[in-house]
Amino acid sequence: MKPDGETPIQDERELAAKTVTHLNLKDPGVVLSLLEADQVVAAKRQSRFGPRKLSVEVRVLLWGLRIYVVVMLILVVVSVYRAISAPY
Amino acid sequence: MDAPSKPPHDSSYRPAHPTTESAAGSASAGELARLITHEDVDRARDRWQVARARWEGRGSKLFGGFGVLWLLIGPGVLVFLGENDAPSMLSYSATGARFGIGFFVPFVILTFLVGFIVQEMTVRLGAVTHRGHAELIFDRFGRFWGFFSMADLVLGNFLTLVTEFIGVRAGLGFFGIRPNVAVGGSLLIVLAAIATGRYWTWERITLGLAVFNGLFVPAALLAHPDWHATAHALLTWKPLPTGSRYDILLLILADIGATVTPWMLFFQQSAVVDKGMQPRDVNAGRFDTMLGALLASIFAIAAILATTPLFHHGISAGNFEAAQFAEALQPWIGHVGASLFALGIFEAGIVAAITISTSSAYAFGEVLQTGHSLNRPIRDAWPFYLTLLGSACAAAALVLIPKFPLEFIVLTVNVIAVLAMPPALAFLLLLVNDREVMGEYVNGTWANVAGVAVTILLVIAGLGFGLATVFPKWLGG
Repeated sequence: MKPDGETPIQDERELAAKTVTHLNLKDPGVVLSLLEADQVVAAKRQSRFGPRKLSVEVRVLLWGLRIYVVVMLILVVVSVYRAISAPY
Repeated sequence: MDAPSKPPHDSSYRPAHPTTESAAGSASAGELARLITHEDVDRARDRWQVARARWEGRGSKLFGGFGVLWLLIGPGVLVFLGENDAPSMLSYSATGARFGIGFFVPFVILTFLVGFIVQEMTVRLGAVTHRGHAELIFDRFGRFWGFFSMADLVLGNFLTLVTEFIGVRAGLGFFGIRPNVAVGGSLLIVLAAIATGRYWTWERITLGLAVFNGLFVPAALLAHPDWHATAHALLTWKPLPTGSRYDILLLILADIGATVTPWMLFFQQSAVVDKGMQPRDVNAGRFDTMLGALLASIFAIAAILATTPLFHHGISAGNFEAAQFAEALQPWIGHVGASLFALGIFEAGIVAAITISTSSAYAFGEVLQTGHSLNRPIRDAWPFYLTLLGSACAAAALVLIPKFPLEFIVLTVNVIAVLAMPPALAFLLLLVNDREVMGEYVNGTWANVAGVAVTILLVIAGLGFGLATVFPKWLGG
């Protein structure tokens, strides 16, 4: 499949759409034929991507941005306090 | 597609990997057939309609035909029109009233372009992994970073929700409707949207409401904007804003915060998953996102144009709230124009209240690993619906408390959104470049260049705000 999404229709789903004029969703086979393998709720519950290994660079980036947010939030409080307490 | 290189953190789980394999053809099809839920059935029905539309429009070169587009449009339009919320429209209105037509008109378009670049990545993440943003962050980065990310989301979402109900109250207040009636009625609309137990119905109801964001267009036309000046501004970015550099910086931050915020990432990815979009739908998802950005930018510029009479007549809008804008505009755009403006503010508040509270509910459901789909009946996913409605009710209640410092929240909400965005973008970029998660749908070079540039831009804007706060005289604050 190409990353641009311009892919031919997969046979089983095309078939489901083409042949089933009165959709019987009580048939589990029909439901499964319309969904991708990891799109079914039970399948998602049973699988995880799992943690990735964070390199030193990524850790430094995440910590740096975290400190940035905390410092900035303190400055927002200072800024708003000034704005509210300033005489009009 | 690539298989994961290492096992998941919990041995009771199977390793997930990006796949486009049909569930019917998977090795566990027999087991899955016994575990199908109501949510799966509703999603299968949606997929069947998309597959039929794709079959019927198979000759079309436009994303599989109009029928496919009609079915797949939703999350992108909703996220952008949802982000054209009450504080955002207030920011655009303040921009028009303070600076008129000039630099900010093309600047707003640029912010929506930035928004599109970022949101397109969430479409791919959702369609390929079928997992929400919060779930993926917890999965790949662990609880420690996950909770930090959630803290940003929860704080930003709740403060923003409060401002939405301020917008609802102010918008309907223009028509003499009492605050408790306005806010209570809005909560009933939120409840009605979610009570259907069906993502598709919820999406169409909310889209129907979001269309009224376009009320700012006739309001702008009634202001008789200078089209020559508008075209000149679009082409030259001039005239540049003059006056206090601190005020200009704050408006720049507010306008950026009106377009790119963390809740949008969480919402669109989860909505793409809930809608059941698949990798083959990515192009339609891109179109949906682009359409949303286009409509939202038109409506945002309309809000700027609608309030330019205040700029031309030298009326200070520094401390205006939503209804006061409508009242101040009435002499220049008439009662009809002012009413449209006030209704637009109400619409902006109610649509954003629905989408932002849904964003919070999706994220909580994903983190707590409870049902988190609008395709689930309330009895099956009550923590999800309780979070959704509870956050909306709490925000609405705050707005009704007499003498509550609402001004504090209005002043901070967009700025906080901008400041919280760089870490959210870092997680997004790391996820969308993660081949174990995305397979061949990882970011291309240009998407990464754009994503990193946006992150750096937001950090610089935030640092500018920080410097201006610590050293206000530098920027004339």
